[in-house]
Amino acid sequence: MHSCSDAEERSSATAVRLRRPGFRVSIFLLLICAGALAFRLPRLMERPLHTDEAVHVFSTGVLLDTGKYVYDPNEYHGPTLYYFTFPFIRLSGAKSYRDVATLIPFRIVPVVFGAGLILLLLFFTDAIGPRAAIVAGILTAISPAMVFYSRYYIQEMLLIFFTFGAIVAGWRYTRGRRLGWALLGGASLGFMHATKETSAIAYGAMLGATILTIVWTRWIDGRRLHLPDYFHHWHAAGALKVAAVVSILCLTALLSNPAATLDALRSYSRYFQRAATGGSSADMDSPGIHAHPWYYYLRMLALFRYGGGPWWSEGLILLLAAAGIVKALKKRSLAGEANIHVTRFLAFYTVLLIGIYSAIPYKTPWCMLGFLHGAILMAGVGAVAIREWLPRRWLRRTAAALFVIGVLHLGLQAYRGSFVLYADARNPYVYGHTSTDFLRLVERMEGLAKIHPEGYGMPIRLIVPGSDYWPLPWYLRRFEEVTPSDKVPEDADAAVIITTPDLQEDLDRRLRDRYFKEVFGLRPGVLLVAYIQQPLWDAFIRTRE
Amino acid sequence: MRKMKLNTGWLLLSLFVFWFAGVTPVFGVESATQTETIKDATGEEGPGMAPPRIVLPKYVKRGTPKDIRKKVPNLESDAERDKTRERVLVPKDAVNLASKKEVTGSDEEPIIGDLEMITDGDKEATDGSFVELGPGVQYVQIDLGKRSKIYAIALWHYHQEIRVYHDVVIKTADDADFITHVTTVFNNDHDNSARLGVGKDKPYLEEYKGKLIGLKGIEGRFVRLYSNGNTSNGANDYIEVEVYGAPLE
Repeated sequence: MHSCSDAEERSSATAVRLRRPGFRVSIFLLLICAGALAFRLPRLMERPLHTDEAVHVFSTGVLLDTGKYVYDPNEYHGPTLYYFTFPFIRLSGAKSYRDVATLIPFRIVPVVFGAGLILLLLFFTDAIGPRAAIVAGILTAISPAMVFYSRYYIQEMLLIFFTFGAIVAGWRYTRGRRLGWALLGGASLGFMHATKETSAIAYGAMLGATILTIVWTRWIDGRRLHLPDYFHHWHAAGALKVAAVVSILCLTALLSNPAATLDALRSYSRYFQRAATGGSSADMDSPGIHAHPWYYYLRMLALFRYGGGPWWSEGLILLLAAAGIVKALKKRSLAGEANIHVTRFLAFYTVLLIGIYSAIPYKTPWCMLGFLHGAILMAGVGAVAIREWLPRRWLRRTAAALFVIGVLHLGLQAYRGSFVLYADARNPYVYGHTSTDFLRLVERMEGLAKIHPEGYGMPIRLIVPGSDYWPLPWYLRRFEEVTPSDKVPEDADAAVIITTPDLQEDLDRRLRDRYFKEVFGLRPGVLLVAYIQQPLWDAFIRTRE
Repeated sequence: MRKMKLNTGWLLLSLFVFWFAGVTPVFGVESATQTETIKDATGEEGPGMAPPRIVLPKYVKRGTPKDIRKKVPNLESDAERDKTRERVLVPKDAVNLASKKEVTGSDEEPIIGDLEMITDGDKEATDGSFVELGPGVQYVQIDLGKRSKIYAIALWHYHQEIRVYHDVVIKTADDADFITHVTTVFNNDHDNSARLGVGKDKPYLEEYKGKLIGLKGIEGRFVRLYSNGNTSNGANDYIEVEVYGAPLE
């Protein structure tokens, strides 16, 4: 059994440390990043806000207007999404939430972080190999799930970015044991925690992957990995301190709410309960609204179809990732362009994340992005491995052609998912999404405001139980007289009333004025009814005839 | 007395002209009250008239919330719909004139399916049974082959989910370009968003029984059905259209 001594390992590590990404590789990755941005930036406003997005947009607006942020251990996750939105809001020229003209300053944040994943590969080419890094860059840019959620104003893309940032910083640190990389890694870990509570899963997977890499290397290669050889303990302590400081500063809003430090720890009991039951945050006791079988994510990625819609598959990534995992776990020497320990770490990390997320009953499609990104990195390794395994040139060319076809297919799906079926339940990444019909309601309110004597002062009553009217707060932000309530008030009359079908009987009994009534879709199967005072409606129709 | 008779005569003639102009197209211009007049003309039961024999697709429980099935403002209720269905009568020898007939449409490359699925007799809301046209105002058009007397039209959009399709407008005409003898037989576009005129008919929830519209022997060769998205998405889905009547000799 071939084995290398530790001295050879460190000597090789020194040689690797001095290697920079080649100029051509860097140019390729920069071009891929530019392509990813070009693909993600257009038509950011077209898709109506999902309820989750709308809540975060609103929270950002509150922070913008009041300067206050209070961490809620039960909901909404951490504040990094809001903080990183500020520069874009400032660039838009808006001084307050109401002044923000479009969704672009919000949705551009996950776009930037999603493309940033490709830039991080510039610092990782010597870990997985330059060719693998290019393949991983292409797959990151073109994966339908990555493209879709890079245009989604939730924390997921930031979490993936900071997670990969921590891994990249950790790798760079092991190459030269520079304090800067350790502290950067610590900051990434801190930002992970300040972004979303599920960072705990990523921490666990990283720790587990480290242990498994050490055990596996000892078992398969007969080589001992002595961790203290790779870092100074006081560098590690410094990194952890930076992680804690970053997390605390973010969650406590620069120490304005010190209780958030403990709240962040208390939040785990709530999230563990939610994860175990699959319940919604609104009603933790309600059984399994988000509970899905263990194969939910894998089925979504491997092969998915719903309601007579098109077929979806990111099977190319899964197949290449499987090849990469096999390659990483095989007994081998240090020969090759990739670092064996990092690739094994990534392999175990990806498999652990798949296992953990598949085991947790609570599932939403965006939660799979963590292991999908790991799979994409391993897919890069796998693509290079397949090329090496194929003995003949024509076989390698055939494999390359199939890869190109597969990438084009992914690109077609990414386009379909983000620009055609972007709010359609037949898109696997669309989950409890606001219907495009909702925008008709918004258009109607804007149309009525144009002819109402008070303009945006037109009184609107939102009579919707359980506040299930999101994302209306964003779309009605300019209206000055919006009164929400959970049940029908005694004095219900207003220029416009937006309610649900189940309240209409009670509402009809209390109304004194005459109304024209219209039905709109909020989400598939969920309707809203708009009552418009008859004279206002008649005036509106005269403008349409 | 003679003068009085003449004045009465002119009065009656004037009344007749006004009524005639109100219920028939004049110089190719559709009357605004056309839809209401036709909607009411569901015919009296008598020898030779019976409800159309429509084969329904399978009922699929959609878990419809109770509140949706109550009377939703401005939405046709179950009771109203059932009452309308009972009143629709067609000649006993009426057939589905649209069966296997050519279908064209505003979107010649549907997103899902083919236009011919609309007259293939399959009314299930399953894969391979419906055609989906792109978002916005779209129409499908059926050529009955011959000028015919139409007594009822049955229409199924996608019905496996709670949906209301918007701006459902149905017209008949003698020519494929819808210039000659155009009649609007149904229009629930209450805000003229489809730019086909303001309609007074009620929007309705899709269901496995479809939407049955009674007509009193409207004559035409072509039937055009418009829609403009639905409450779930912007798509325009058609499962089946049946046109009950008889060809004119």
